[in-house]
This record gives sequence, C-alpha cells and structure tokens, in this order.
Amino acid sequence: MSEPHDDGIEALLRQQFEGSVADDGFSGRVMRQLPPRRRRAGWPLWLGMVAGAAACWPCLAGAPLLQAGWRDWLRGELSLPVAGMWLAVIGLSWLALGWGLAESRGR
Amino acid sequence: MADNAAEARIDQALAMRVRLDGDRLAFEQLVRRHQGMVRAQLRRLLHGDEAAADDLAQETFMLAWRKLDQFRGEARFSTWLYRIAYTCFLQAHRGPLRHDAIDDEAMERLQAPAQRVDLQLDLERGMRRLSSAEQAVLLHCAQLGLSHEEAVYVLAMPLGTVKTHATRGKAKLKTWLAAWRDAGSTEEAS
Repeated sequence: MSEPHDDGIEALLRQQFEGSVADDGFSGRVMRQLPPRRRRAGWPLWLGMVAGAAACWPCLAGAPLLQAGWRDWLRGELSLPVAGMWLAVIGLSWLALGWGLAESRGR
Repeated sequence: MADNAAEARIDQALAMRVRLDGDRLAFEQLVRRHQGMVRAQLRRLLHGDEAAADDLAQETFMLAWRKLDQFRGEARFSTWLYRIAYTCFLQAHRGPLRHDAIDDEAMERLQAPAQRVDLQLDLERGMRRLSSAEQAVLLHCAQLGLSHEEAVYVLAMPLGTVKTHATRGKAKLKTWLAAWRDAGSTEEAS
C-alpha cells in the first residue's frame, strides 16, 4: 500500500471485514426458541369506541341541529340539518383517521 | 442499487406476512436472510467473541419477532435489525460509548510499526485503539456498507457526530498506518 488516504483506508477496512457469518444451525436454534406470536386483542378498540360514544351522547343528544337532522333523515328528507349532520360525522371521522395515522407514525 | 431495492421489497413482504398472519415461515426466511450480517456486526462489536455475539444475535431476533409491529418500513429491514442488535450490545455492556479512548497527542506518540508485519494485523490493532464510537461508526459505514443517514438511525447519533467520528477515525488510522506508506515509498525509490 503506498497511500493510505481515506479511500485506501475504507478499502482496507472492507478487506478486513470477514463478511456474513455462515448459518451453521443458528436460524434453526432461533426458530426453536421463538415464543408464540401474541395477537393484538381487538376488545380495547371496541371498548374505547363504545365509551367515547357514551360520553358524547349526553352532549350531542340535546343539539337541535342533530335532532332535526336525525328526524329528517328518518323521514327520508334531504334537508340542510341532514347535510350538516352528515358533514359533522364525516369531518369527525377524518379527524379520527388523521389522529390515528399520526399516532401510528410516531410509534 | 436495484438489487438492494428488490431485497428490501422482499423483506417488506416477508415482514408484512409476519405482522398480518404471524407467519413463522416468513420470519424464518427473514432470520436466514439476515443472521449472517447481524452476527458479523456483533462479532466485530465484541472483538471476535463469537459465543457472546451469537447470544446477542439470538436476543436480537427474539426482540424483532416481538416488536415486528413497530417496523414501519421507514428504514430497510436490515438497518432496523442492526439498530436492535446495536441496542442489545449497548444494554449488555451497560454504558455509553467511550468517545476519548485515545487523544490526539497520544496518537502522535504512538510508535509506528518498526517491521513490515501484516498490514491487516496493524489495521486491526489500529481499530482497537480508536474510541468505541469511532469503531462503531467505521464498522457500520465502511464495513457493513451503511450510509451516514442509516448509521444515524442505527447508532442513534446526530448526523454531524457520525461524520466527525468517521473522519477522525479514518484520520487516526491513516496516521498509524503511515509507516506502511513510508515503507512503500522507500521500496519504490530503491
């Protein structure tokens, strides 16, 4: 070696590295010791949704827009309160979706 | 580059199968694909202690199995494994990296090899004289072939620190191996 500059040093380091280790039964040993995979329980999600709906209901039940929207919806009328009610539902759903995505990215 | 992208896509698909179906065969494929480099990484970090390296490698894959839901594909699967392995290594040695194994003055005082012994041996000695942080950065960037950004992810160091350790580590090695350059020049002249 005549000039061990940066590239030379890097080349030497690469040569010195022995590279990938042969398996020799390692993977088999790992797989034998692997515990059963824990499935994520679905009930906390449903419990949270029910609890959230139960908490919101007393506040929203008295809202005149929601009452009128729900009544018109049941009658099959496409009125302004119906549009407002569904816009609110869609808006809240998007909000929950965005929150969920942001939380999952941060994990 | 295209090969790397294809390999990464295969890893992503296998990881997805493990996440969605708990597919053990898919995980076994991932272990077989990556055990060699993870074990090589740990052997280097542990200065050739093969038994200890294999214990940590096994712990690494156990953790990967348990935490696979957290793999979001923001890094290559191999990089994610290197990160887990490096964390296991740090936890096993319980302590921050030494950043000052040898200072610059001491480096200058080091005796250059008097005889033309094996260059690789001198390089190995030189690597061991570096601080742990410099060794870790050179291992991951120069030997395992990670980019500086990937090394940042694995080593949990700021980008500037990774670059500094890489530069300083190579500069020290260059100084310590200067005798080889001088010997080479003498041979050429004679």
